[in-house]
Amino acid sequence: MKYQSQAVAKPYFIAAIGLFIGQILFGLIMGMQYVAGDFLFPEIPFNVARMVHTNLLIVWLLFGFMGAAYFLVPEESERELHSPLLAKILFWVFLVAGALTVLGYLLVPYARLAELTMNDLLPTMGREFLEQPTITKIGIVIVALGFVYNIGVTILAGRKTVVSLVLLTGLVGLAVLFLFSFYNPVNVVNDKFYWWWVVHLWVEGVWELILASILAFVLIKVTGVDREVIEKWMYVIIAMALISGLIGTGHHYFWIGAPEYWQWWGSIFSALEPIPFFMMTVFAFNMVNRRRREHPNKAAVLWALGTAVMAFLGAGVWGFLHTLAPVNYYTHGSQLTAAHGHMAFYGAYVMIVLTIISYSMPILRGQKAGSPRAQKVEIWSFWLMTLSMVFITLFLTGAGIQQILLQRYTDNPLPFMVVQDKIEMFYWMREGAGVVFLVGLILYVSAFFVKGGEREEITDSSGMASATSS
Amino acid sequence: MSEVFTKSMARNIYYGGSAFFILLFLALTFDTASEVPKRDNHEAITEQVALGKKVWEENNCIGCHTLLGEGAYFAPELGNVYTRFGESTEAIIGFIQSRPVEGIPGRRSMPQFNLSDEELQAIAQFLKYVNGINTSGWPPNIQG
Amino acid sequence: METVANPPAATGRQDLPGDFAIWIFIFAELLVFGIFFLAYAFARAGNVELFNEYQQYLDRETGAINTLLLITSSFFVVRAVNAIKRNAVASCVRWLGFAVLSGAVFAGLKLTEFAARHADGITLSTNTFYMFYLSLTFFHFMHVLMGMVILTAVAVKAHRGDYSAANHTGVETGASYWHMVDLVWIVLFPLVYVMH
Repeated sequence: MKYQSQAVAKPYFIAAIGLFIGQILFGLIMGMQYVAGDFLFPEIPFNVARMVHTNLLIVWLLFGFMGAAYFLVPEESERELHSPLLAKILFWVFLVAGALTVLGYLLVPYARLAELTMNDLLPTMGREFLEQPTITKIGIVIVALGFVYNIGVTILAGRKTVVSLVLLTGLVGLAVLFLFSFYNPVNVVNDKFYWWWVVHLWVEGVWELILASILAFVLIKVTGVDREVIEKWMYVIIAMALISGLIGTGHHYFWIGAPEYWQWWGSIFSALEPIPFFMMTVFAFNMVNRRRREHPNKAAVLWALGTAVMAFLGAGVWGFLHTLAPVNYYTHGSQLTAAHGHMAFYGAYVMIVLTIISYSMPILRGQKAGSPRAQKVEIWSFWLMTLSMVFITLFLTGAGIQQILLQRYTDNPLPFMVVQDKIEMFYWMREGAGVVFLVGLILYVSAFFVKGGEREEITDSSGMASATSS
Repeated sequence: MSEVFTKSMARNIYYGGSAFFILLFLALTFDTASEVPKRDNHEAITEQVALGKKVWEENNCIGCHTLLGEGAYFAPELGNVYTRFGESTEAIIGFIQSRPVEGIPGRRSMPQFNLSDEELQAIAQFLKYVNGINTSGWPPNIQG
Repeated sequence: METVANPPAATGRQDLPGDFAIWIFIFAELLVFGIFFLAYAFARAGNVELFNEYQQYLDRETGAINTLLLITSSFFVVRAVNAIKRNAVASCVRWLGFAVLSGAVFAGLKLTEFAARHADGITLSTNTFYMFYLSLTFFHFMHVLMGMVILTAVAVKAHRGDYSAANHTGVETGASYWHMVDLVWIVLFPLVYVMH
């Protein structure tokens, strides 16, 4: 660790992994409910499990992004974090608010939660991914502002690198776009139109800036390739991401009452959305092949490459599969959408957070890299989680295609529930793959506790060469 | 190779390109704002529909169902349920009311939300309003 | 024609003029326009009568003038590149100025065209033909504005003495972008305004 204050990243990463486990457990509950409809009913109805599953995902990714920022910004800015204390306070505020919200979902009926949190004053609840009580949303805004302030002051006062400035842009964008979650008109078309300004412009906009800057940071560290080269390509990739992704929002505007020209604009620009992901894959492999050093943290390198590949497959390929309006007419809101959502979120955002955790956690614990045995376990967890996610995606794709053929693309469409029974086999296989994913995750966590093998011990901030050369 | 590829040019493209497409996106949004009223069935929005949307949200219906294809994929699409239920708000109300508290053994079942008569009327009117939005012909058929 | 005045330093260079980054951008832009043109062709094939009918109402004279304006401005830009390769900074700035001026006239004419359509109550939602016509021309119009901004920035930098015969990549970069804008119009104009 080069700077003492980087240590505040550690609790963020630990919380992120803890919530990740919770997310997967609820994913398994939902997967079970897909095949045994009365599982845990009425104690945990599907909608509650799903809310917990998706909200935990968002919250732990945000924890991961914040941890990543606290770790890499001091190093990039070459100075201590503006206020480690503020970072610690915000950590507890965010964790407690998140935990209370999830408990609220689980312990009281949602309508009662709305009543308790006075949703009537400013109704924002009950929209997909934005189910949090209004007061939680306000809390998120406050935490985000404090966080962006802390990071922003550090960046602006220190060395300004492309990595840190792009990260800052992404974080500011994240905070600003979240404000649209407070806009909830009765008019459903407008509601949906601007809801996407949070959801799409997050995941296919500003989050990609965060993703790119974390990936660039890790690649600079593990490959030793000239920063200039990496930053140059990073600019080109995020430029392409925004060029395609901004108008690409239009692929969500086909069937929600927005004007029909979005079918053209959305199709044309979202057809380009795989390009930046493809460039990212080529770029990551190129940099690793041109590496000037053999970094001892092999696992982190694997995660970084995995991010690039899986983001391309999940966001790029699976996104493109159903993004053109004539195709989307049949696939919209089917299990195919779920297939894409799973692999894209895992490939792009879960994996980038695991990449930075994999790279930084050993350093935060005073080593340059985990022991070879620990890394071996971690690499096993990489393949288990990644391959099981590939299979989850394939099974959901199978389910989606059959659903579309029976319910949509046919002269004799069957009712939704009838079709669900007919595609049950895919859901069983999906659940099986989900269990393997959980095994992978358990292995991942256990890798942190594996002892033995030789370690490259490094000393904290005393300026020993091995510590600072990373 | 004498090729030039500078970071400052890459940066200019990032900033210039982003600004360009943000402006374009805002221009299209501006046009959309003026077109939406021709398609959004806003004439049907009443106090009751507004209450219906609140009932819809405060019971997290989107956590299982889709509405115009967006939401969860666990339960049927409801953007066209008014049509599917024979253009009868009474049928919608009857369905919601009849959900068993303990569910159906082995099967998916909608929870019993214990809605008041006013809320039931409102949610049905809300679904009727959504049914009237011009969605460019989606869903492909009545099954949603 | 730019290789003619090329300084001898380059060893039979075949690489693209200007900064490579702009070429990534240019390829991306050409790809977008290319897909847009394909979509146009696809939509037209399904609605030939509609497209032919509404095409008549377009202002072809102004379109032709605009085509000449852009081709001329591309010529000015070529002159600017040649000038800087001779170290003739003042001449380079002047030619760039002419190019921006032509671009401005193009933009002005385009605006009057848009205003006329707007006065007729034509929008993106009127019909598929107008959707494509307005989308393509407006998207291109924004590129003209972008190109003017780029050429102006290049001219200002040239005026400040940032470019010379030895260091003229910046001018070539701006020129490459402007030629792309011109090229797209040369395809767009016959495709949307003329071809039946």
